[in-house]
Amino acid sequence: MKKVLSLLLAALSVSLAFTGCQKGENASSQSTPASQANSQEPAKGTSEAKELNIFTWDGYFPQDVQDAFTAETGIKLNFSNFETNEEMLTKLQASNAGDYDIVVVSDYMVAIMNELGGLLKEIDKSKVPNYENLDPAYLGKFYDPENLYTVPYGPGAPLIVYDPATCPVEIKGYADLWNPALQDSLVLMDSSRVIIGITLKTMGRSFNETDTAVLSEAKEKLMGLKPNVRTLSVNNLQDVILSGEASAGFMFTSQVAMALDANPELQVVYPEEGLGFGIDCLTVAANAPHPENAFAFLNFLLEPQTAASVSSQIYYLCPNTAAQEFLPEAYKQNGAFATPSAMLAEAEFVEDVGTELAAEYEKIWTEFKQQ
Amino acid sequence: MKRRSKAFWLVVPLYVVTIVLVFLPLLYIVALSFLKKDVLWGVTNEWTLGNYRQMLDPVYLKTFGDSLKLAFATTVITTLLGYPFGYFMAKLPPRWRSTCMLLVVVPFWTNALVRIYGWMIILRAKGVLNAALMAMGIISQPLKILYTYSAVLIGMVYSLLPFMILPVYNSVEKLDWSLVEASRDLGANAVEAFFTVTLKLTLPGVLSGFVLVFVPSIGLFFIADLLGGGKIMLVGNLIKNQLLQARDWPFGAALSVMMMLLTLLIILLYRKVTGAKDLEGFF
Repeated sequence: MKKVLSLLLAALSVSLAFTGCQKGENASSQSTPASQANSQEPAKGTSEAKELNIFTWDGYFPQDVQDAFTAETGIKLNFSNFETNEEMLTKLQASNAGDYDIVVVSDYMVAIMNELGGLLKEIDKSKVPNYENLDPAYLGKFYDPENLYTVPYGPGAPLIVYDPATCPVEIKGYADLWNPALQDSLVLMDSSRVIIGITLKTMGRSFNETDTAVLSEAKEKLMGLKPNVRTLSVNNLQDVILSGEASAGFMFTSQVAMALDANPELQVVYPEEGLGFGIDCLTVAANAPHPENAFAFLNFLLEPQTAASVSSQIYYLCPNTAAQEFLPEAYKQNGAFATPSAMLAEAEFVEDVGTELAAEYEKIWTEFKQQ
Repeated sequence: MKRRSKAFWLVVPLYVVTIVLVFLPLLYIVALSFLKKDVLWGVTNEWTLGNYRQMLDPVYLKTFGDSLKLAFATTVITTLLGYPFGYFMAKLPPRWRSTCMLLVVVPFWTNALVRIYGWMIILRAKGVLNAALMAMGIISQPLKILYTYSAVLIGMVYSLLPFMILPVYNSVEKLDWSLVEASRDLGANAVEAFFTVTLKLTLPGVLSGFVLVFVPSIGLFFIADLLGGGKIMLVGNLIKNQLLQARDWPFGAALSVMMMLLTLLIILLYRKVTGAKDLEGFF
């Protein structure tokens, strides 16, 4: 009996350990880059070992693109996955920015990392000539004004999507989500900054409001949204709409795209109050063991056909001008990728506001959930 | 003496693992909880009690209250369901008993998260349960169960029920039935015999199950997230958000320390009430 119970307890604790991993982990591709690097590292002064360590969210690099790169260059790709930018930075710091070559970093985190310093390596453009293919609309952003450290890889602007068959109102912007007719029928991203952000947008303020008086006003307004919320989630928001559990939702680009693919009758809304925006970037770690391979990989990813293949598989906007002609028709037809460029140009990044204000946002979010 | 030292060396790796993987991280968390957060990232070198003071804010106190309330409700329901289950399981013929035991344990072969996703499929509007109820003509409109407090309770009770069944089963199985027979001989009817003899003698198992269910249910936040639609804020969620969204590690650490103290308190209380050294004293 002791054994049975202790086994059950062990099983419970193991499952608890995995609960954070909702994005799912790919055990087969996970390896310890450091240990592999040691065994295959050639003597100093010779060229780099034929491998590259990539630190990323799971599933962010399509398999066929990986295979093509390895076939072309003989460089083996080792993947390590993280769940959040915060986890990534902690591990990158622990490795002294040295175990990984390519690191995927979101916009606001690039800014934090640059402020901390010594974490990112400048990209040698002479080795990444395809950098020219990038759409200037995605360059020179606040986190990297001179385009020294980042290659925009996964840009996206969250959108509203609704099912006209079940949604009783026509939705034009964020403000419509407060409509009492939508009681208990919204699925929203479980993100304090984004949802408080759209509340601020309905008040004509910024996603990155720093005035605490305005924030408490936003809190009052936000509380009015709670009766309409069916569920808050981070993963698979599109399923909540598709299964009929909710009739309208506010979710990430890729989720909107998947929802529209599965049910073309759904309506996509580019909120009239203005968009929020985010770009996941590719960066090179400051002490990357294989910087040459890293630059070669960046250049490969920026080739027009490869870039088109990547965007159409990871389902983010395509930041590569030269790639546009290679994008599949289905991708171009999808409303999630047809956000008017004028709106994208006006879109506002969700920037870091510092931990003091972040705590304020979190507290509002806690109260919102408690209500 | 020689044999003893040999055994000692066999145990050393366990001590090392415990110290490195349990004790040191714990120490780190406690230390972290007294530090100040940095505006940008990480912590500063200043010491403070502010993280614990911050917990006194009504918003955060309510989070603790909500967590305890859910844990308590879960424990009460698992007791009401688990006691009869364990009781009758122990009275089955041995062959059926082991089959029954296997059925209780089998779900653990699948990851808890996956099983909760299974519940989402069962409970949702166009899900299995609603389809069945509507086919039987019991309801005409799909019930909204998913993303409600009831769904959270169903998930919690489902996940933790075995931890109540097994201790109860164990104490009923060990019960000296001649005592029950004696009480019947002395004129007690079945109900009286159950409440005065059986229940009292199996109470340690129930209390043991109570702790085994209550303690994990304070921390199980992913069930509330998935089945409750993320609309409930438990201490577990709060800690997660402090670490991942607010980047306030010290406050997250302080909350964790408080949760550990709370757990400790429950176990101490259990020991005080039962006089047992540890939970397994009854197994």
